[in-house]
Amino acid sequence: MAGHAKQAQQLARQLFKLSLVDGVVSAENVGGILAWVEKHRPANPLMVLKAYQRLVALELARGQVRVEHAGAISDHVLQSISAALAKKYGRPLAIAAQPNPALLAGLRVRVGDDIYESSAAGQLAALAAAL
Amino acid sequence: MSTILEQIESQIAKLSSHAVKKNTGNIRTIADGVAKIDGLSDVMYNEMVQFPGGAIGIALNLETDEVGCVVLGDISQLKEGDEVTTTGKLLSVPVGKALLGRAVDALGNPVDGKGPIDAKETYPVEKIAPGIIVRKSVSQPLFTGIMAIDSMIPIGRGQRELIIGDRGTGKTTIAIDTIINQAKINKVGLASGDPKFRPVYSIYVAVGQKNSNIVRTIGALEAADAMQYTIIVAAAAADNPANQYIAPYSGAAMGEWFMENGMDALIVYDDLSKHAVAYRQISLILKRPSGREAYPGDVFYLHSRLLERAARLDGKGSLTALPIIETLAGDVSAYIPTNVISITDGQIFLETDLFNQGIRPAVSVGLSVSRVGSAAQIKATKQVGGKLKGELAQFRELAAFAQFGSDLDAKTKAQLDRGSRIVELFKQPAFNPILIETQVAVLFAMQKGFFDPIEVKKIVDAATSLKAFFTTRQEALLTEIRTKAALDKDLEAKLQAACEAWKSSYGA
Repeated sequence: MAGHAKQAQQLARQLFKLSLVDGVVSAENVGGILAWVEKHRPANPLMVLKAYQRLVALELARGQVRVEHAGAISDHVLQSISAALAKKYGRPLAIAAQPNPALLAGLRVRVGDDIYESSAAGQLAALAAAL
Repeated sequence: MSTILEQIESQIAKLSSHAVKKNTGNIRTIADGVAKIDGLSDVMYNEMVQFPGGAIGIALNLETDEVGCVVLGDISQLKEGDEVTTTGKLLSVPVGKALLGRAVDALGNPVDGKGPIDAKETYPVEKIAPGIIVRKSVSQPLFTGIMAIDSMIPIGRGQRELIIGDRGTGKTTIAIDTIINQAKINKVGLASGDPKFRPVYSIYVAVGQKNSNIVRTIGALEAADAMQYTIIVAAAAADNPANQYIAPYSGAAMGEWFMENGMDALIVYDDLSKHAVAYRQISLILKRPSGREAYPGDVFYLHSRLLERAARLDGKGSLTALPIIETLAGDVSAYIPTNVISITDGQIFLETDLFNQGIRPAVSVGLSVSRVGSAAQIKATKQVGGKLKGELAQFRELAAFAQFGSDLDAKTKAQLDRGSRIVELFKQPAFNPILIETQVAVLFAMQKGFFDPIEVKKIVDAATSLKAFFTTRQEALLTEIRTKAALDKDLEAKLQAACEAWKSSYGA
């Protein structure tokens, strides 16, 4: 069982590499890979597809900036955040804004695994943890 | 004035509004104290990670697309998908004298119900052991209070001496006796006001033991008034394996604080067999490749990096380690025992047969050794007990040989008589360590033949009577032995006279 999982992981990684064009996930390539899997039915296709989905989801999250904000936020601010982060990560980043009143004030920006917290709720949580 | 304050406030406001960067991941699976986490792309090896609900973990496996963490603390509230955050810190525990007299868990949190611990400092749990240059050779004695050990297998400050034996042979008792003896010596030394006196603080690390045993140990230390110089680090059998894995390193960090600050400390790891088992469990769940007896490949490093932290530092203090290993059916050639034997500077081997014969402590003279040797003995002990180990070894050999023949020459008979008397003399009840000056007096009496006319069966009584005689009526003489630490002609004459006086009173 462990051997099957390892094989599935390895194949998923190979398929994932083939999904990238210039370091970005290509919808066209993903479609091609899915068609290939359906046609050739590798061993444990469910395991392979789940592992593949996970890798693609992580990569997509790395290429996206999710901005949570408590109040109104202008397009100009969003664009400047996106530009600053694109420069920092050295890759183009898509931006998506989402209101989140639980932050009380300020912003929370997420890029892949990284979170940049500049919100009142975050500061209160840090204060509570420090007490 | 107000402008200056405003400037500072605006600076603070600027700083506090800075975005805080966190690196996060999500729990993918969690089982048996080990969590597999997606994300955490910036995590470092051995870094502390924060789980929801206050639990913390240590990143042990950094893989291509997941991180394996051991979780310390309560895992019952954690579930798949929970967010985990890196902290950028190594796991640290509180250190310092505030911990003395307290029982703490593997993370240094109090578990004795005596309230919070006011520790001013923390030390990282994992630390590189002191290098070659900063070390000094072991030459100061650390008295266990057990006559058989102090006279034949002396332990020095900064040494690592393994206590090994089957279950129920008195391994923990030797360790507890040693801790109690340090407390006794500390009390006497501190009361004397000697500026050169260096107290020894003790740390007892219980790994994978029953809680009832830990309570019993604490009880024995409290009864002997030794807790004031002792820290208990408890990772009981019911604790998760991650806590059992970390506990010895936490104890070592606490001991290192004493060593780094010019003090001497003693640490007991009770026991490293269970520690290896806890690490094996973690490693197997982390899917690390297993080797002999299913232990991971780095099980030697697990113990070597721990025991190397015991040292005597030049210009600073020392950390003496007494690791304990439990053998199965006396097999010292098993995997973990041979590993730890090769790491330590000697071993005290306890035999089940001796224990069952009533020879307690059941120290096997043939298999026990201290590689530091007499460098860690005071001159007085060398003078009175230098030949004991050889005599006892000869006795064992002759005793085995004598079983086959009834006619023995006078010399062999005398050697057997003397050996059996030494064996009796070394019998000592648990939790009753003897101060080194009393040991010297008793061994002097043995060397000078004061026990020869006494029947072998009555040697224990006679030795008890002699000890009582010296402690109650010859206190000045004992103090002189302790301060001089060597027997000159004058002291020998006084000892001879005292022994004569005891002999006449005992015979009467």
